Amino acid sequence: MTVGETFTWLRRAGPLARIERQTWQRIAVVCLFGAAILFPIGHRNDADIDAAANALTFAALALGLNIVVGLAGLLDLGYAAFFAIGAYTYGAMASWQMTPDWSSFWEPFQWLGLVARFHETSGDVVHFQVSFWLMMPVAAAVTAFFGILFGFPTLRLRGDYLAIVTLGFGEIVPIVARNTPYVTNGAMGLNGVAAPQLFGWSFGVDATPYYYVGLALVAFLILTSQRLKFSRIGRAWMAIREDELAAAAMGVDRTKMKLLAFATGAAFAGATGTLFVAKLQTATPEMFGFPVSVMILVMIVFGGIGSVWGVVLGALILQLLQSWFLEDLSGWLHSLGRLIHVEWLQRIELASSIELIFGLILVFMMLYRREGLIPATRRVAPLTTEEQTAAPTRGGFEGLKGLGAVEERGSDPLLEIAGLTVRFGGLVALGEVSLSMPAHSVLAVIGPNGSGKSTLFNAVTGLVSAQSGRVRFAGQEIGGLAPHLVLDRGIARTFQNIRLFPNLTVLENVLIGMHARLHTGAVEALLRLPRTRREEQEARDKAMEILAVFGNRLMPRVDHVVSSLSYANRRRVEIARALASRPKLLLLDEPTAGMNPAETLELADQIKSLNRLGLSIVLIEHKLDVVVNLANRVIVLDHGEKIAEGSPAEVRQNDEVIRAYLGRSAAVA
Amino acid sequence: MPELLQFRAVDTYYGDLHVLKAVDYRIEEGEIVCLLGGNASGKSTTMKAIMGIVVPARGDIVYEGKSLAGISVAERVRRGIAPVLEARRLFPRMTVYENLEMGAYIRSRGPEFDEDLERVFTLFPRVKERLRQLAGTLSGGEQQMVAIGRALMARPKLLCMDEPSMGLAPVFVEQVFDIIQTINRQGTTIFMVEQNANMALSIAHRAYVLQTGQVVLSGAAEELRRNPMIREAYLGEMKVE
Amino acid sequence: MIIDPVLLQQVINGLSLGAMYALLALGFTLVYGILELINFAHFNVFMVSSFIGMWALEMLGISGQSTVLGGFALVGTLVFAFVVTMLSAGVLGVAIERIALRPLRNARGTAAMITTIGVSYILFNVILLTAGASSFNFPNPMPSVRWDIGGATLQLREVLIWTIAVVLMLGLHLFVNQTRLGKAMRATAQDAEAARMMGIDVDRVIITAFFLGSALAGAAALIFGLYYNFTSFIIGYTAGLRAFTAAVLGGIGSVTGAMVGGVLIGLIESLGGHFFATRWADVIIFSILVLVLVFVPSGLFGRAPATRA
Repeated sequence: MTVGETFTWLRRAGPLARIERQTWQRIAVVCLFGAAILFPIGHRNDADIDAAANALTFAALALGLNIVVGLAGLLDLGYAAFFAIGAYTYGAMASWQMTPDWSSFWEPFQWLGLVARFHETSGDVVHFQVSFWLMMPVAAAVTAFFGILFGFPTLRLRGDYLAIVTLGFGEIVPIVARNTPYVTNGAMGLNGVAAPQLFGWSFGVDATPYYYVGLALVAFLILTSQRLKFSRIGRAWMAIREDELAAAAMGVDRTKMKLLAFATGAAFAGATGTLFVAKLQTATPEMFGFPVSVMILVMIVFGGIGSVWGVVLGALILQLLQSWFLEDLSGWLHSLGRLIHVEWLQRIELASSIELIFGLILVFMMLYRREGLIPATRRVAPLTTEEQTAAPTRGGFEGLKGLGAVEERGSDPLLEIAGLTVRFGGLVALGEVSLSMPAHSVLAVIGPNGSGKSTLFNAVTGLVSAQSGRVRFAGQEIGGLAPHLVLDRGIARTFQNIRLFPNLTVLENVLIGMHARLHTGAVEALLRLPRTRREEQEARDKAMEILAVFGNRLMPRVDHVVSSLSYANRRRVEIARALASRPKLLLLDEPTAGMNPAETLELADQIKSLNRLGLSIVLIEHKLDVVVNLANRVIVLDHGEKIAEGSPAEVRQNDEVIRAYLGRSAAVA
Repeated sequence: MPELLQFRAVDTYYGDLHVLKAVDYRIEEGEIVCLLGGNASGKSTTMKAIMGIVVPARGDIVYEGKSLAGISVAERVRRGIAPVLEARRLFPRMTVYENLEMGAYIRSRGPEFDEDLERVFTLFPRVKERLRQLAGTLSGGEQQMVAIGRALMARPKLLCMDEPSMGLAPVFVEQVFDIIQTINRQGTTIFMVEQNANMALSIAHRAYVLQTGQVVLSGAAEELRRNPMIREAYLGEMKVE
Repeated sequence: MIIDPVLLQQVINGLSLGAMYALLALGFTLVYGILELINFAHFNVFMVSSFIGMWALEMLGISGQSTVLGGFALVGTLVFAFVVTMLSAGVLGVAIERIALRPLRNARGTAAMITTIGVSYILFNVILLTAGASSFNFPNPMPSVRWDIGGATLQLREVLIWTIAVVLMLGLHLFVNQTRLGKAMRATAQDAEAARMMGIDVDRVIITAFFLGSALAGAAALIFGLYYNFTSFIIGYTAGLRAFTAAVLGGIGSVTGAMVGGVLIGLIESLGGHFFATRWADVIIFSILVLVLVFVPSGLFGRAPATRA
């Protein structure tokens, strides 16, 4: 048996099988931190401890960048700017760099111990001596503010352009630092930055106390990252990363989430900057240039973009490689060079080639192992043969009661569209389309290719703006609302070409559908209060209920990444995701496309059941028997205009409709 | 007439979605054959398979007696298959003349090129007028003329047209179909994917009707025109196993 | 009409800088137009080429500014240097495409761009490690002939630079508009799938774009050395930033835009240096870059905006 097979046997069948995976993980983490805590005690080499402290610093930075790039998918090439801002914020407040003249304004601060009055021959001045422990969160907050400031202009930009803009900001910050000597002492760097003090005892120059602070910081940031990642916020970030538009259509407020990602990532760097500068007791602009941003990027690519432990591992390996191993490695290469008489090997100094090594690692990883050392998407055990060949079963709908409930407003229509016109350049995609739909009914929209059906959905859900016309839903105007607000009002949709979040699991996809209905914010996710845990558990239960509608087609696959699912199953997940938002109106865009007749029948049946529960449905569909079976009313679009409306039977016989589908013949030009 | 193109039990997939299901087509030299069908029936995929953009998972596409498996797109054009793409897809910031030149890309310049250019001008006098204009500034109908002209510049034996009537005003649709007939009479075999069944059947010799990737009807155009089942196929009602 | 001689001098300087930035921006934009790829490595190909140019001239026995040639010897030397540099740069560009970028042709999102960052790093550090961090005196055989124009000085080297730049840009223009392969490049940039269906070998087009783009970077590198009389490992970053901004300002993907943008940035740098302290130069350039991308992403001549829906 191979090692892998042995291990698998041990875990599944052997004596350790009873220990759950989660417990294993917890044991491993405890052992790891235990070792880390004991390390400086056992190994008293200050240089090594210093190197380890630096490594922890970069692990913290990697965690921060992981939030922005790995979770939210925003490629920030100027991350070191946040590091700089945190560092200089503490540096300015804890060194005697800035010395404003003393005045009574400063007295309360003196009383609080934040500043001291210093007597100089020219007059009394202020010496800043804000406590390290106070500044760490303050610097984090200040940096978070800059995160929002820098992130704001990038909100509408495409990935590569976003990267360039962040790169720009990343470069502007050190240059500004170099050129505002009053605050930063310019290129010479801050000096005399105060070391942290704990109960009167100063940290001094020994590396060990900084190591422990760094360890605590990394532990805290790992906890924060994990808590956020596996919460409503983390899912929203990943949804944005996977498919921004679909995320918006499922209720994610993109602006808020993106800014939150920037702010969180920046805060991580801000806190870390404080520690870094306190340890070095100086800060120069060179410490925060583009090479530093790239280095952190290489660390997270190497470790595994999106994986919390992966990026920590990546950062630690690459940093410790520099400090602990490269010298030895160089020595070995020198010996090898002497042995085989190769001259350049004898001269090579790996330590100074570290950036070259980083470049090589980056290219290598992108070409051959883009997921990094520890991939973010865990591989799930494939289905057993029984599961694969089981006859499909369907679930019941009891769990979905109350879906589609609308306040009864008499005979008012649920959805009213008047004169909706959408133009793309010179092309009229929708021309003065009007319709009215009562609650709890099923409306089918049919028409030949390019007739504007999907555009109609896009206009109603806010993905596309209409040039004129009105859309009224449940008595309120929704025309012009952003997509996530339309979802919030109660309209959910699926897409013609299926827009799931490909690298997320079935369950995660469905949970994102609930984003607008859950309330956990970032702070609550971090604290993991009982209320939050309850909400999360209820959300999962509800998601499982919805998935249960599709029986054993989806249930055994809830933890599978959706890109591994069959086409038909992906359609089902998309519908489940839409249902998760508890919509009043469901827009289905060709839900049975690609399904064989049996699957089509099954889905049509399920749609009918959903309607019976009270859900109002608009359906774009080509298979007319499905339409006849399900729809109360049909409207027919052709070239963006409504050419017919009526019951399915009427529409089928309508000459106009037939002509629209089969085309005008030459005689009837 | 000898066979020019044949699909033998071709299956194609899009991911795990089964698009074309064991389809058989036969196109003889000199014919106009249409492929009809409603939305999502697999018409476009057929065109892409002929050009080599989509590779069949099973089955074979045979051209002039030889399999096209493994034959690159460029080589297919060299062998005489030229496309008129859906929605024209001219190169918008190149002139009409340059677009025509691109159609003849795989051929060398010489008297034959000039002959074909003349032929295009004769068929489409409007094109000649607009030679120096940027293709993106032309109207839909004019663009369609240029698109057909561009394909003709490859001096193809088989002209593959993907929805030539789409997005065109009715008056242009008639013109285009007249021209297609003319080109065919001049000796080019035409395989045409079309949604407008009526127009297509009025000029075609034979036709196939697709529904969700399967051929549900086929035969002489004349007969199909009178067959009421076409309507069912288009409206997605035909029962197929 | 009398123009302030100082201003005139700045304009002359600006045009020389602009010529160099235009060539560098052009090379960058050629690749972007076809692949929509921001190729960071381009600017360090520029830097590496300047070293190649330096070594090519030294091979001919020219060192520093002491060896001065005239007439045919000068022309011959320059031609040799340009040919060698541009060819080497082109080959380097193609090698980068084949090894690091082709496998990622279909990768989603910013994967290819990140890889170009890695390649850029590799080039930068190889030169830094082999040639060192110091500046090198660039061999320059040009005589220091100068003319007085309205109070400002116009040097022979500047005239030569303009001439070379114009010749190259004209050459590119002719290539892209008159040759079969050049038109195929334009077609591929506009609709790669349709181009493929005309029988155009899209792979070959991409290789050509990388070759030409890198060759232009090589020319720009030689111009840099001949103008400033020095080269160092950092010029990819300094000149590259400006050329990149020029490409963005002109509209990434637009050939006209790169040329116009290059000249504009050159003039801005030269005239701006007159009004602002040089230490703010980078900040100003970065600010232009950020402002253009945020507010006018299509630049002056570009088309598709950089926004998502």
